[in-house]
Amino acid sequence: MLPDTMDFVVTTLLNALTLISILMLVGLGLAISFGLMNVTNLAHGEFVTVGAFAVYFVQSIGGSFWLGLAAAPIAGAVVGCILEFAIIRHLYSRPVSTVLATWGVSLILQQGLELTFGLGAKPVTPPIEGTLDLFFTVYPAYRLILIAIAMLTLLGVVLLISRTSFGLDIRTVIQNREMAEGVGINTRRTYAIAFTFGAAIAGLAGGLVAPLAIVLPQMGVNYLANAFFVVIVGGVGSIGGLVAGSVFVGGLTSVLNYQISPSLAQAIVLLAAIVAVRLRPNGLFNGASR
Amino acid sequence: MIARDRNWLLIFAVCAALAVIYPLFADGYQLTVIRDALIFGLFAASLDFFWGRTGILCFGHAAFFGIGGYIMALITLNDAIPFGSLLGIMGAVAGAAFVAAIIGYFLFFGGIRGSYFTIVTLAMGVICQQAAVSWSSVTGGDSGLIGIPPIAFDVGGMHVDLSQDLPSYIFVTAIVAVVVLALWSISRGRWGTVLTAIQDNEVRAAALGHNAPLRLLVTFVLSAAIAGLAGALYVCMAGLVAPDLSGLLLSTEVIVWVAVGGRGTLLGPVLGAIAIQRAQQTISSFNPSLWPLLLGCVFVIIVFVLPDGILSIYARLKSLFKGRRQAR
Repeated sequence: MLPDTMDFVVTTLLNALTLISILMLVGLGLAISFGLMNVTNLAHGEFVTVGAFAVYFVQSIGGSFWLGLAAAPIAGAVVGCILEFAIIRHLYSRPVSTVLATWGVSLILQQGLELTFGLGAKPVTPPIEGTLDLFFTVYPAYRLILIAIAMLTLLGVVLLISRTSFGLDIRTVIQNREMAEGVGINTRRTYAIAFTFGAAIAGLAGGLVAPLAIVLPQMGVNYLANAFFVVIVGGVGSIGGLVAGSVFVGGLTSVLNYQISPSLAQAIVLLAAIVAVRLRPNGLFNGASR
Repeated sequence: MIARDRNWLLIFAVCAALAVIYPLFADGYQLTVIRDALIFGLFAASLDFFWGRTGILCFGHAAFFGIGGYIMALITLNDAIPFGSLLGIMGAVAGAAFVAAIIGYFLFFGGIRGSYFTIVTLAMGVICQQAAVSWSSVTGGDSGLIGIPPIAFDVGGMHVDLSQDLPSYIFVTAIVAVVVLALWSISRGRWGTVLTAIQDNEVRAAALGHNAPLRLLVTFVLSAAIAGLAGALYVCMAGLVAPDLSGLLLSTEVIVWVAVGGRGTLLGPVLGAIAIQRAQQTISSFNPSLWPLLLGCVFVIIVFVLPDGILSIYARLKSLFKGRRQAR
């Protein structure tokens, strides 16, 4: 293969991998709340925004990027915990009301951030400038760090769910809520913790993406639509589905971004996702078994 | 049921009478304000026809409004096309219905319902807005298209020209009244009964021989067609079309109009649209960025305090007094 082509292929792959890892982190919280608890949380995108603003805020008062990145999941968790406690726990049996209420919260959060921090995009500087020579191509070093952190986080979540007793609790509550109550698991608390946890991971994703993205109060909605499609396309209820959905949405977006304008690419990806849902209603990952 | 029908028709008649005598008391500017509010009321009624009857929330209804608006603008701005206004309205209705038919086919026959449907339609609104922004050679990009002429056509030797305030007000009021009445008679008849059955239990309705996906699809397409009509009317009255008209914020607002006015009443959403737009204009004149904040609060308040809309206050008061009388 020609060196130029090789360079192009590797760069495209790494760009796709960056997007895929972000989508996986954002989608994880939705897979928990939407896929497993059956709560349609339209304020999920704002957890990403809050994470990105946390990094901006810490940097603006003189802190380092890494301190900001540590604050991002905490900020996401705090907002998520308040949301669950104040609103979502009262609406578990009213799905349409949940949609309306969480959308209201998302508008309130967006406008609240705008009133607090003012109009316009917020600058966030990456911790590392420069590129890394990867033999085939040169690639921004920060993006490689982002991919690594995202993958490690995902690995940690998988271990948490499959190996710890809290993970066992979550899996039990998801499989059969009444049975879980019966064996003495506090399902409300489990839901609350799982929801907060998903919000924290989305906040982390926002912090990671902040140096690459345009940090705006309204940035969340783009991640929201994509993350929902990750969950729906991939199939609900498994890490495998999450990975499959992220690869579908993230991969297609990255490849299309070379050919056409980003907003058109976004539109085509969402259309492709709608078609994919029609062809495989149970998700890409579950298609074979059902 | 019959008593409720009579109540509904009574309220409808009162509203229609108020709309007819309003021009006697209002100046030209006030007429145009109410006229535009009525167009959005028609849009709200179109969403209510689908959401109120099926219980499935469409979160991208502004997509159809915007599609109708853009088609109307493109046809009337092209001098080569004769009968621009009439063809534009027909094209807008057909275009919105066509898009709804395609998307609805994939969703309803794919078994997508409930929250899944809401999310896909939310993305549909995002898609439409971004397509309008990025396809700038046709849609004018971010700034949209301007200079759309007012509706004018000839019917049976009669020349209709809606460039003046009063004729356009009468035209819009008549259309809204006819459409709302038509939607009401559809939804209280057999069609509406079957939809209610599907909403209650789709599997059971299908077992009784109803083709549930087809019913939902046709209802969705009809709803989208009326949204397209509202969009076409709006851009002619406003003289411009912009990507915002298919965007998320408008989709959000129309949901609030329906939810505040009372879902499933068709007339409530129209009144809700008019009332909230007046409130919006007042509030936005203080501080434009305050409005989305209040909109968000309204969502939360509706869910917790008024799940059946403002009209339910009356029903609640009535049952409260009834309860007291019986207690005595």
